[in-house]
Amino acid sequence: MANVSVAAEWQLVYNRYYRKPELYQMRWKHIDLSRNKVACAPFGGPIAVIRDDSKIVQLYAESALRKLRIFNSAGILISETVWKNPGGRLIGMSWSEDQTLICVVQDGTVYRYNIHAELIEPNASMGKECFEENVVECVFWGNGVVCVTEANRYFCMADFATMKVCELARPEVEELPHCVAVIEPKYTMTGSVEVLIGTDAGILMLDEDGVQKVDDTLSQKMAVSPNGNFVACFTHDGRLVVNNTNFSSPVIDESCESALPPEQIAWCGMDSVLLYWNDMLVMVAPQAEPVRYFYDEPLVLIPECDGVRILSNSSMEFLQRVPASTEQIFAIGSTSPAALLYDALDHFDRRSAKADENLRLIRASLPKAVEACIDAAGHEFDISRQRTLLRAASYGQAFCSNFQRDRIQEMCKTLRVLNAACDPEIGVPLSIQQYKSLTASVLIGRLINANCHLLALRISEYLGMNQLIVYGVYAFNSIVCGYLQARNIMLTEEVVIMHWACSKITASLAIPDVTLLEILLDKLKLCKGISYAAVAAHADKSGRRKLAAMLVEHEPRSSKQVPLLLSIGEEDTALVKATESGDTDLVYLVIFHIWQKRPALEFFGMIQTRPLACDLFTVYARCYKHEFLKDFFLSTGQLQEVAFLLWKESWELGKNPMASNGSALHGPRIKRIEKAHSLFSETKEHTFESKAAEEHAKLLRIQHELEVSTKQAIFVDSSISDTIRTCIVLGNHRAAMKVKTEFKVSEKRWYWLKVFALATKRDWDALERFSKEKRPPIGYRPFVEACVDADEKGEALKYIPKLADPRERAEAYARIGMAKEAADAASQAKDGELLGRLKLTFAQNAAASSIFDTLRDRLSFQGVS
Amino acid sequence: MAQIPNLDNAPLNLKSIREQSQRDLVNILKNIRGKKCLVIDPKLSGSLSLIVPTSTLKEYGIELRLLSAEPVQTDCAKVVYFVGPQFISMRFISSHVHDDASKGLQREYFLYFVPRRSVACEKILEEEKVHNLMTIGEYPLYMVPLDEDVLSFELDLAPKEWQVDGDASSLWHIAKAIHKLEFTFGLIPNVRAKGKASVRVAEILNRMQTEEPVSLSDMNIPEINTLVLIDREVDMVTPMCSQLTYEGLVDEFLRINNGSVELDASIMGAQQQDGKKMKVPLNSSDKLFKEIRDLNFEVVVQVLRQKATSMKQDYTEVTTMSQTVSELKDFVKKLNSLPEMTRHINLAQHLSTFTSKPSFLGQLDMEHTIIEAQSYDICFEYIEEMIHKQEPLNKVLRLLILFSVTNSGLPKKQFDYLRRELLHSYGFEHMVTLNNLEKAGLFKKQETKSNWQLVKRALQLVVEDTDTANPNDISYVFSGYAPLSIRLVQNAIRSGWRPMEEILKLLPGPHYETKRGGFSSSPSFDMSQGLSSSIDKVGDGRRSLVLVVFVGGVTFAEISALRFLSAQEGMAYDVIVGTTKIISGNSLAETFSENLG
Repeated sequence: MANVSVAAEWQLVYNRYYRKPELYQMRWKHIDLSRNKVACAPFGGPIAVIRDDSKIVQLYAESALRKLRIFNSAGILISETVWKNPGGRLIGMSWSEDQTLICVVQDGTVYRYNIHAELIEPNASMGKECFEENVVECVFWGNGVVCVTEANRYFCMADFATMKVCELARPEVEELPHCVAVIEPKYTMTGSVEVLIGTDAGILMLDEDGVQKVDDTLSQKMAVSPNGNFVACFTHDGRLVVNNTNFSSPVIDESCESALPPEQIAWCGMDSVLLYWNDMLVMVAPQAEPVRYFYDEPLVLIPECDGVRILSNSSMEFLQRVPASTEQIFAIGSTSPAALLYDALDHFDRRSAKADENLRLIRASLPKAVEACIDAAGHEFDISRQRTLLRAASYGQAFCSNFQRDRIQEMCKTLRVLNAACDPEIGVPLSIQQYKSLTASVLIGRLINANCHLLALRISEYLGMNQLIVYGVYAFNSIVCGYLQARNIMLTEEVVIMHWACSKITASLAIPDVTLLEILLDKLKLCKGISYAAVAAHADKSGRRKLAAMLVEHEPRSSKQVPLLLSIGEEDTALVKATESGDTDLVYLVIFHIWQKRPALEFFGMIQTRPLACDLFTVYARCYKHEFLKDFFLSTGQLQEVAFLLWKESWELGKNPMASNGSALHGPRIKRIEKAHSLFSETKEHTFESKAAEEHAKLLRIQHELEVSTKQAIFVDSSISDTIRTCIVLGNHRAAMKVKTEFKVSEKRWYWLKVFALATKRDWDALERFSKEKRPPIGYRPFVEACVDADEKGEALKYIPKLADPRERAEAYARIGMAKEAADAASQAKDGELLGRLKLTFAQNAAASSIFDTLRDRLSFQGVS
Repeated sequence: MAQIPNLDNAPLNLKSIREQSQRDLVNILKNIRGKKCLVIDPKLSGSLSLIVPTSTLKEYGIELRLLSAEPVQTDCAKVVYFVGPQFISMRFISSHVHDDASKGLQREYFLYFVPRRSVACEKILEEEKVHNLMTIGEYPLYMVPLDEDVLSFELDLAPKEWQVDGDASSLWHIAKAIHKLEFTFGLIPNVRAKGKASVRVAEILNRMQTEEPVSLSDMNIPEINTLVLIDREVDMVTPMCSQLTYEGLVDEFLRINNGSVELDASIMGAQQQDGKKMKVPLNSSDKLFKEIRDLNFEVVVQVLRQKATSMKQDYTEVTTMSQTVSELKDFVKKLNSLPEMTRHINLAQHLSTFTSKPSFLGQLDMEHTIIEAQSYDICFEYIEEMIHKQEPLNKVLRLLILFSVTNSGLPKKQFDYLRRELLHSYGFEHMVTLNNLEKAGLFKKQETKSNWQLVKRALQLVVEDTDTANPNDISYVFSGYAPLSIRLVQNAIRSGWRPMEEILKLLPGPHYETKRGGFSSSPSFDMSQGLSSSIDKVGDGRRSLVLVVFVGGVTFAEISALRFLSAQEGMAYDVIVGTTKIISGNSLAETFSENLG
């Protein structure tokens, strides 16, 4: 039976099985892994191969120049380039999460290549120390690297996106470590990377803040488990010890036959560790005899989240634990419902009645059996076996009434995608578990990146991914990358088309702009909301400025359009578009751009006719570039604005503490105001301002003189009215008079000021004398108010009877609490409303309020008669 | 009592907006590891305190400081700035960094712009050579819910920036905020705008919809049915009048900041030593306040008295008569409202010391005289005398603006005369204030005949015999003057702009009306019937919702008037107010005041 042959290939390890299906026969020729440095990306990613310059190898018929070659997982060449980078030996090479090849050379320079073997500028560096001390080893993880220098110092680049380097604590031992392993930042308590090093003194742990000895084990090789919880160490006495990262409880302590450390050590999923010596691969798992596999060619172990891919010169295999559902169905002698269902299909195909018998046996657990078959299909790489399993599932499903029907359909969809990606021409072998943790959108992104546009588009269409999908850190090329970061969410289809457009532009140097524009627009318009600006930016970068200008016209988003217009030199259009958008930030962007690039006068000319740009520039310059603003106003003939600026400057000089203790600054202050005065007078519309400036200058002079004569620094910067009041309070009536005449202060204002000033001084005699000087031009109200405010009833009574208006009189009496007199006055005024209001003020006083009531009654009576 | 209003009864899920802002803020703070010193723009601290209580911030190991010119005193190695896009803040920050550098302090600087990064501000940082020392981010806080039905965009400088400097940044901000609301609550189908700035906001909003569309298919019925945008410029009369509602008066005399008012503790009956201040939160979480905030203050006094009396009666009954347990329980329940009662009685008492002053009554009198616009000379002389007496400048400016706006400016001779008297009385540094007011058209030379009389009559702005206790018209909020802005809103909601185009033309700025999305194609919708017919279509018993946005600020009294409208029988809509800031005549006048010095 077929079942037997399936399980026959499995290896039993304690209570579970492992299998090792072959994914590909490698299509490459003459690649010897032992002669090369090899970097394989996880998730079925590309393989980078370059001749190892630390080994002495015989050159056959090849050039002495080394070539960096990039293959897909099936060994088909994607791209190659000649390695001519300076900086010494290549120390380490690895793929980052966004599938950029990171190469670290001896002097600490970090070169980055995309999947097309194109160098991504600029190169980064691990720092000056690495340059001086030479890098001897580097350890990569997902998106970072730790480098060890000859001086045994450790430098970490924690994120290839930011390329920032920091030094870790120094271990204080001279000799280089035997082995180095890294615990990824996402698994550590501190959130920054922790490095384990095996030294003669045991295992040390380094991070940014310090060094700590964690274990005595003398380790020669280490590997951290995929979830960051365990460390596998190969000790100097030939044992494999697996411990948690606190080194508190060993899970495995297995003696191996060799005291030589293995060449490679890798975790296979979460439950076993692989050790590779020349020709021999040993799998060690807890409570089990190690399993040995023999190879007659060199290997590279590629850890995945659910197993290990084993790359050799001739083939690619995938070593994984047999999934539970598969085990149920194919295990020898299995009588699980799933196995019986699978068997039933076999009988059914052979038209045997036993099919029915099988089904009856498992009736109750049929849904589970169907589920298991579907699941097992997902775990198969072999298409015909996938098919058989799915047929078994669909056969069983026909007898289940309440099974979720779209499960099979869903699995078929997933498998179609996986099989398509697994095709050797594409060469991305993914297990279903890997696919799920990678997500479809990232897979599509990678396909786009490898220029498999059509497949990417088909997959995204097939999966109906036209809804929003959150994109992680995966970005493909610089333009799309910027676009992604800007929007953070995106349409997958959109990215496919956009990437296609960019590639099209790159590849179509011979096609004239207009034709190419049409070709591009034809496809771009398929997708609503696509970024024309991003495509245009690419066109510009490819040296097709005209095409870029035509494309950017189609961009609806001003925030994308404007910066691009600037970069292709369309400043005027940029300014118009920015203004239209209403986004002042964009307008500023344009203003600063032009300001920087053009001579001042040209700049002024460009913004002068655009009110918004002009106003925004003024606002900015008013705060930060006074002199430049003056130039602007002068060049545009707005003299009054210059005058205002000068006037303002004069005040700022006044605020300067230096000004208070010396007259030195009065000179420049007054000079500025006078300059303002003359500028104002140049235009007809500003005679008022001109007059005011003139008066201001005069006032400052007078105040200054007053300060000198009174030896009191209390005049400068007070108003004219205040100056007069101060003079009167000081008893200097002559000076007050002088200010009054100098500034033609009206009699009305003069009376208010003098009355209040005398009241402040509480000089009641003088006040009375003043009231008798002549008949006050505004009556006696100021006198009454001043006395009432000062709470001097007696003084107030001198003036209240002199008030001409009985209403005023009534209110004045009321304010000093004389109810009866108030009432009398009010009744004289014959004002009912006033009486009512006065009553309110006397609300607390019963006697008084009754007076008002009677009076009001009388008044209304009169009104009727 | 929490200062942060609970938004449970909001007609729109404002809570989700606030929670989003909370999350954003917490994420920013969490992502900066370790101890840090948070330096906040004083202007922002109010808005932030309505998002996250200060105590919560402290839980994240944060030292709080307010941004000023003074260098930051802290032991933290990480300094996190939260600032609005103000140039002056950039200068402060640069000086802090330079100061630290001169002292040899090594610090990490984080700068978060609220609500978004600003090219111009970053330019200043570049010029000061500190840009590369900062990690710059943004905190997209475009609006803050002040209460169940009020959203503030916190743009206190917007009127001055737009009307004087021509800086339209605030308009983009407003449009962005509304667009954000649309992403949550659906595309608003009806948009009506009056005034230059409002129309521009509507345009930008449309543009944003084309650039980054709110998809129509995802939502069912949009939660907000109509957007009414009113430009403050259209009605500068209302804010210059003294508000007479309870909340309005508190703001006029005591200034409400971010939903609370700060008072001497002694006023609130506390037994503490003098001079100690206390904060009294004023929002709808306070049930009694919710009941009385919109009433005319005269009525509030009566209501409070009634409540106090009835409580006293209950008390005597409890002490004298035998009561069942359930009656006792009711009584105790009533007692729970006692703290609220005491609080508002204290506050009302404090207010009445202001309202009973003759000067206040005189001012009210004058406001009405100006609005009546019958006795030009009396008004002119009154203002002239105020200047001569050197009364507080803000008070003078309010009346002056009111006077100038209703007369569409003053004849040149009188204009120059008053300006001169002002400068003489208050100092020449106020030249800039005058210039600002002139640019904004608030105090200017008369060029055309005023059409205030026409507007006043056509919109029935002055209502005789207003019954403040049982009002039947919005005019109760100003004891006889119906706020122009709210009259416009009233019409806009009821019938759209079309029937009143003649009146709209009398007011400054263009007007604009549009339907968006696929809704206009609906055949049953009749344009001329406006909103009323569309309301009927919301059949699930929900009231439809109108968002009224005031570009340039709104007063509490106007909000009260809107609440009054929406509470009227036959009005099948709820109103949410959006505003650049809550303003009063004083704060608005201050916005335009700018000293030369």
